[in-house]
This record gives sequence, structure tokens and C-alpha cells, in this order.
Amino acid sequence: MFELTRQEKQVILFLVATALAGIGIDFSVKRFSTAQSMAAFNENLGKIDLNSADKDLLLSVSGIGEKLCQRIISYRQEKGRFLEQAELKNIKGITASKYEKIKGSFIVR
Amino acid sequence: MKKHPLAWLTFIFSFGIFIASWIRAPFYPLYFLAIAALISTALFFKRSPCFNLSLSCLVFLLGALNLITCDTLPGYHIAKYVNYYRSDTPYIIKGYINNQPQAGSSRSSFIFKAEEIQAANLRKKACGNMLVYVKGKQNLSYADELILIGNLYRPFTPLEKSASLQKGFLTGGNKALKSYRNYLYNQGIYAVMYVKPGCGIVRVGRNRGFALKKLALGLKKKIENIIFKQVSYLCAGVLDAMLLGEKRYVPAYINKLMLQTGTVHILVVSGFNVGIVAFIVFLILKILRVPRKARIIISLPLLALYCLATGASNPVLRATLMAAVLSLAYFFRREPDMYHSLAIAALVILSLSPRQLFDIGFQLSFVSVLSIVYLYPKIKTLTRLDGLKIRWIRLILDNCLVSLSAWLGTLGFIAYYFKIFSPVTVLANLLIVPLATLITLCGFALAFISLLSQPLAQFFAAAAELLVALLFLINTFLAKLPFACIYLAGRG
Repeated sequence: MFELTRQEKQVILFLVATALAGIGIDFSVKRFSTAQSMAAFNENLGKIDLNSADKDLLLSVSGIGEKLCQRIISYRQEKGRFLEQAELKNIKGITASKYEKIKGSFIVR
Repeated sequence: MKKHPLAWLTFIFSFGIFIASWIRAPFYPLYFLAIAALISTALFFKRSPCFNLSLSCLVFLLGALNLITCDTLPGYHIAKYVNYYRSDTPYIIKGYINNQPQAGSSRSSFIFKAEEIQAANLRKKACGNMLVYVKGKQNLSYADELILIGNLYRPFTPLEKSASLQKGFLTGGNKALKSYRNYLYNQGIYAVMYVKPGCGIVRVGRNRGFALKKLALGLKKKIENIIFKQVSYLCAGVLDAMLLGEKRYVPAYINKLMLQTGTVHILVVSGFNVGIVAFIVFLILKILRVPRKARIIISLPLLALYCLATGASNPVLRATLMAAVLSLAYFFRREPDMYHSLAIAALVILSLSPRQLFDIGFQLSFVSVLSIVYLYPKIKTLTRLDGLKIRWIRLILDNCLVSLSAWLGTLGFIAYYFKIFSPVTVLANLLIVPLATLITLCGFALAFISLLSQPLAQFFAAAAELLVALLFLINTFLAKLPFACIYLAGRG
């Protein structure tokens, strides 16, 4: 096979023993780790503000098409601003079921 | 093997990884076996044959254990949060971008390192990388800290299909799909996220990641801008691929042409490019009359910077590690050994990420170098090339033998993965490699001179255009030769 000097053997043994210990620790840490809960993210994260959203942002919500988007913007311009999310129901084309479907995507700031 | 014990141990370590990938062995019994092997190795310290045998067993077990550990995901890994059923509630994940984002016209993609996730209305600790797709062109860069909102999946068929086609995988049907999923797993990516359009990205900060990588990617962006400003789009695409490893601007037909002639390796950053960078750095430092030891000390961080800028792919990492080992051998006045440097490079890569053993880039990179190191001297002796009196013919034939050795070594791998056999490869490499060297030198000179003088840079830009045009002409001519390239059965 191969020939190693005494010094080379010592170095290899040290490296191999360290690697073995490292692998054992790494595996055990991974194996016995569990998910830790922390405080929740801001619940409004990722929701679109009805008072500042532009056309493109409104269109990105599934269930809102070109016409509905235009109606939301017109409503906002007419009333000045949305005071609450439920005002969406006043817009033509947003039925109660549609409102339930899309309300999770919006926020009123 | 007698002269290169490290090469043998690396082979045994790789074999351990390979076997562990086929056999589902439990960790702890193997671990106790490895401890027993370690004790016996220590006990047989003075008896060489027994020591060698126990050491080989121990290294084999280490390879297997390393793969099992790598495949074991912690309880809070991002992949463990992915639902198998379809859910309407989007995932909210916080972390940072872990690579240079790829910005396309219709969508951008990047690798995201997850740190926290919102699951069942609770914020939980998370880890692991995921591939992220965002609609539209996004102004994102490495180390941006973000909160992403979107759907999370395991890599599955529709994505695999589009992505494998995008990557230019040549094997057909399900094999390509499976190989793309395996490719992602080998890169440590177990989840894919499609970010919610509109407001799915919330920027938290910009100061995450590794400072040296940030610097390297910043430099890369600057060089890219210079290249695209100075030369035509086509030439810039080729230079970008050859200098910085960004292949996405190279037209598909050029890529195909170079694959047919077996010269596609010059379109990716490999050991060849690292060698040129090392040569340029050494040359500049030599002109500046920097002492030899100082040259080595200065060149190593620069090579590491180049490695990071090009995405630290397997061939670049292999070449950088080999260059580091060889340079250190010169530094400490030890006899440099190619087998040892190759073995150290493989050991380092496989220790950090054992799944790289199954990566095509890793296999081709190591096999080509190994076959050059092993076969080239043997073929040279066999052909009695040293006896040739005319120097320039000897030089040409010498280059031919290097190409031939690499071709012979990689032949089986290329036929298996790409289903292609290119007899023209040796001739093509003989012509293309010197040309590619000139193009690479010209590209680096262009990037460097542009910072000093714009009018002077135009000369290099014109030269680069000419050389790239010549590269295509030669490739087109070679690809059209009879039996230049043969497609094998089973190719999709």
C-alpha cells in the first residue's frame, strides 16, 4: 500500500479524529434540533394599502381585473380615501363572496 | 498509490460517499464502527500494513458519515415547512440573498438563505437555501435582507421542465427533469418559492452576507458594465462567459456549436481561466519587481476574490485550491505534486459538500485534470515526442497530446451525460484553446485599460471582436466537418 512517515501518521490521525468528532456533533445537533417559536411577524406584512396602491399593485391581487381596479381607484378619488376595508363592498362588482376572497390581501392605513 | 497516499485516501473517501448514496445506512452504528476503526488505527500506529488498512476503513466510513450528515436536515430546515397539500395561505420568510440574482426580462431568480419563517401564525427559526422566482425585473443584489411572501414548493415537475430547458440540459424527457431536481439537491436547495406578485418582497436591510463575496460581486458587476459598454452584445456575451462565468448572454446556437466541437469548456470559467488570472497577476507583480514569496502572498487573496466573483463553481474552486496548494509548496520550498494538490482540492470540496461528487461539473473538472496528469506523460513517452528535433512541431504535438489526454479521460462522462461523441475535439481544442487564451487576456486587458483610458480601450475592444469572430468561424468550420460530432442513441 502506501508508506507514511511518523509525523505524517500523527497529522492524519489528528485530522481524522477531529473530522469524526465534528461529524458526530454536527449530526447530533441536526438530528435533535427542533423549530423554536418566536414572536409573530407583523400580521399586515405583504398586504396592499387600499389608499396608496397604484394600478399595477391592485392588479397583482388575484380576483381583481382591469375594470375592478379602475373602479377601486375611481372610488378612492371620489371619496378621498378608504376609511375601512368593508367600503370595498360599496364598489360595483365586489359581491359579498368576492369581498371575503380578496379582503385578506388588503389593509387600510 | 505508494507515492501518493493522499490520492488513495481521497479515492477511498469518495468511494464511501458513493456507497452511502446507494445504501441507506443508519448513522450511529456506522459512527461506532468508525470510532472502532480510529482506535485500531491508533493501536496499529507502528505496524504500517495494519495502520494503512484501518486508516483506509476509517476514511471510507468518514466519507459515508459525511454524506449521511449532509443529507440530514435539522428540524427547522426550510424544506420541513413545505406542505405536501396545496395551501392558500402564503409563506412569509425572512432571510437574505445568497448569490448574485439573475435578472431576466420576465422574471428574476436568486438563492435565498432563510432565517425565520411564519408558520401557523408563529414566527419560527429556519435555515437552508431556497430558490426564489420573482415576476419582473427586480433591483436586487447579494446580501439584501428581505422578507418574502409567496408559495413554497419542493422542486417538482413543471418547474423542473422549464428550468431544465432554461439550463440547456440535453438529456431528454424525465431524465432531464430528474437530473435538474438532483442538481438542485446537490446544491443544497430543497425548496422553491414563487414570490407573490406586487408586494411579496419587503426589504429589511442590505448588510448581510460575506464581505469578501460582496466585494467580489461588486467588482464583477463593474467589469460586466465595462464589457457591455465597449463591445457588441454578442462579443460581450462570450467575454462575460469566459471571464466571469456568466453564460446567460451567450446565444443558444453558439453554445450548441461549441458543444458539438467539444470546446464548450472555454465558455465557462474553469481551471484554464484561473490559470490565466494567476499568470496575469504573477506577471504584473514580476514586472513591478515584487519578491517571489510576496508574489505568492498577494496572488492568493486575488485568486480567492476571482473564485468568489465567478460564483465559486466546482472547476474554479478546484483550480483555486490547486493553485493555492502548489503556491504554498513553492512558498515552503517543497516539491509540488499535482496528485496531492488535486487530492487536497477534492477532499476540501467533498468535506464541505459531499453531494458535489454527483455534480457533472465536479466529475468533468477532476477527471480531465487527472487524465492530463496521468495519461499525458505516458502517451508522451509512448510516442517518443521528446526525440523530435523540430521545436515548433514538437510544441504543436505536445498540445495535441494534452487535449487528447483530457478527451480520453472525459469521453465516457460526456457520452453518458450529453449523449454526444465528438472526434473533432482534439483538433478543435488545438485551435480554440490558444485563441481562447488570447480572448481571455484581451478581455482582462480591456476591463483594466478601460479604467485608465477609454481611447486605448477601443483597440482591445476591436481585437476582442476580431478574435471572437474568428472563434465562431473556426467552430462553424469544424462542426461542419464530416463525422465531427456523433449523437448517441437515447438523446432527447
